[in-house]
Amino acid sequence: MSQLNAAARAPLDSRAKMIEFHEVHKYYGDYHALRGISATIREGEFFSLLGPSGCGKTTLLRTIAGFEDISSGAVLIDGKDMSDVAPNKRPTNMVFQSYAIFPHLTVGENVGFGLRRDPRSKAEKAKAVEEALEMVGLKGYGARAAHALSGGQRQRVALARALILKPKVLLLDEPLSALDKKIREQMQVELIKLQREVGITFVLVTHDQEEALVMSDRIAVMFEGEIAQLADPETLYRRPNSRRVADFIGVMNFLPAQILGEAAGHVQLEVGGLGRFEVTEEQASARASGAEPVVGFRPETLTILYEGQQAHDREAPATIDEVVYYGDMTYYDVKLDGVDAPVRISMRNVFGRPVLDVGTRTRVAWSAGALVLFR
Amino acid sequence: MAASPLKRWARSEAVNGYMMISPTLIYAILLLAAPLVTLVAYSFFTDGYLVVIPDLTTANYAEAWSDPIFRSILLRSVIVSGLVTLVTVVLAFPIAYFISFHVPAAKKSRWLFLITIPFWTSYLIRVFQWKVILNYNGVINSILTGLGLTDHPLQMLNSIGAISITLAHAYAPFAILPIFVSLEKIDRSLLEAGLDLGENRLLTFWRVTLPLAMPGVIGAVMIVFIPTIGDYVTPELIGGGKLPMVANVIYQQLLKIDNKPLGSAMAISAMLVVAAVALVFLFLNRRFLRGSK
Repeated sequence: MSQLNAAARAPLDSRAKMIEFHEVHKYYGDYHALRGISATIREGEFFSLLGPSGCGKTTLLRTIAGFEDISSGAVLIDGKDMSDVAPNKRPTNMVFQSYAIFPHLTVGENVGFGLRRDPRSKAEKAKAVEEALEMVGLKGYGARAAHALSGGQRQRVALARALILKPKVLLLDEPLSALDKKIREQMQVELIKLQREVGITFVLVTHDQEEALVMSDRIAVMFEGEIAQLADPETLYRRPNSRRVADFIGVMNFLPAQILGEAAGHVQLEVGGLGRFEVTEEQASARASGAEPVVGFRPETLTILYEGQQAHDREAPATIDEVVYYGDMTYYDVKLDGVDAPVRISMRNVFGRPVLDVGTRTRVAWSAGALVLFR
Repeated sequence: MAASPLKRWARSEAVNGYMMISPTLIYAILLLAAPLVTLVAYSFFTDGYLVVIPDLTTANYAEAWSDPIFRSILLRSVIVSGLVTLVTVVLAFPIAYFISFHVPAAKKSRWLFLITIPFWTSYLIRVFQWKVILNYNGVINSILTGLGLTDHPLQMLNSIGAISITLAHAYAPFAILPIFVSLEKIDRSLLEAGLDLGENRLLTFWRVTLPLAMPGVIGAVMIVFIPTIGDYVTPELIGGGKLPMVANVIYQQLLKIDNKPLGSAMAISAMLVVAAVALVFLFLNRRFLRGSK
């Protein structure tokens, strides 16, 4: 194992700061695109900027590359203020959304584009190009015309072209959005492996929450020029800090809740269909979008109980309202007794378990610990 | 019931296709192919003083090419139009670049519209205007003598320089438009990629923008070079008839001296020279013209 790899495996907090945003603001005329972004990205981290289009995630990425000037605040890379550093002098390289492969050059010339000032001999550079191509699985493609490549291959060329320069930070602007599903999933895994191998800090921009969850060490969820939540994927999924984040990442069911009281780090609730129970303060820290408190839970935290099955914790009576069969999974929309709005429950179709029909009376198993209270 | 072979033929896709393009086809045959074929035929016929005798001969070509005056005029034509092309394209590039890269998208068509303004007046009048500007007692000389910069008015007309300036002005929009189009087609993220990979703006221009704009530059060269070599009006008016180009001698042979076969042979010779120069130029630049998406 290389030293870089060892550094990459060290806990995040102990690693050096690679990118720091200090109160970054960006205006386009009157439009406030970035509204006071402050965050730190650590060395060797796979960091994602996730959000809907127009949330400022690409703008923020481009401030790292130097393609966007910031209106106020500071961007530091490896401890150095970048405000007066031109894009071509920054220790970053970018994989563009369109890949930006030079169509007039061969694959090899594309990959070697940034090596012009490199003092190494021609033969050494050619070897470096060949190695970079091998790293992204395009060994022997050097002489091919770049414009004849497929989308996935272009993406690999763009990666090799950036990584050959050994940047401190690799910036990826929606690199997988143009690929079809199979290749995208394959590239996700390859990118993770590549990042572990080279140990470079990766900053990925994406609007695909699944992609962000799969690939990242940490994710910053952005809405309207602000970071709504910055956390590791599991925290983001299980403990979203606002209803908006919860809505954006995966599917979450919401039921109106009534807060009965708080005592000793616990909040007592009454929820229609589930009854009275209590949650911890930690579960109760998320913001609701309106004034009314709601509890949220993921579809997989509930289970439909079959005849003779016992709930581990609590159970609630319900009726099946809708069935969507996905092969490996079945999604049930279920109406809890006393609640009009259906909640979604996902069940794995393990062998021997029948798919239930609409209208079936059933019982749903749930746990208070899996809930999030938005208030 | 099976249709007769004739009806089937009339309904076939190929015939339908020809029917559909027939106006174009007729146009192309009548206005492009027929005159050319006539010219080629004439160039191999024999001159019979007032009539053309259809006896095949290569004597016209031998006469044209053995004439040192024709050869030097042809050479002058190539040099003048080469010069014009160089000046036009070099001046057109920054203009096209400016419109493509620095004019806001909404205003680009307005700029292109402005560039076509010189075309609103006839070519002949534009050439005359240059005569007014460059004349012995014209605009430039009046200014120079008026400011006391020179005692004697400069002799600017009747020179290759004057011919070149006039032609360069006339063909400027033809050069700007194709270069503009090829610059417009460049994905702007390629330029960011150039910067991102460590090159400054100048080298990014040299290594990315210029090679990608080359198809437009080559198109501009072709569009300017090919018609200027056969220009008749400018050498006549600006060159004062003292610096004839190849179109002027062809005119002389065909209409003044009435030696149609020799005139035709000269015209075909000039055409072949243009074609040869153009093909060599394209061959030298072939790497920029390789197919790309």
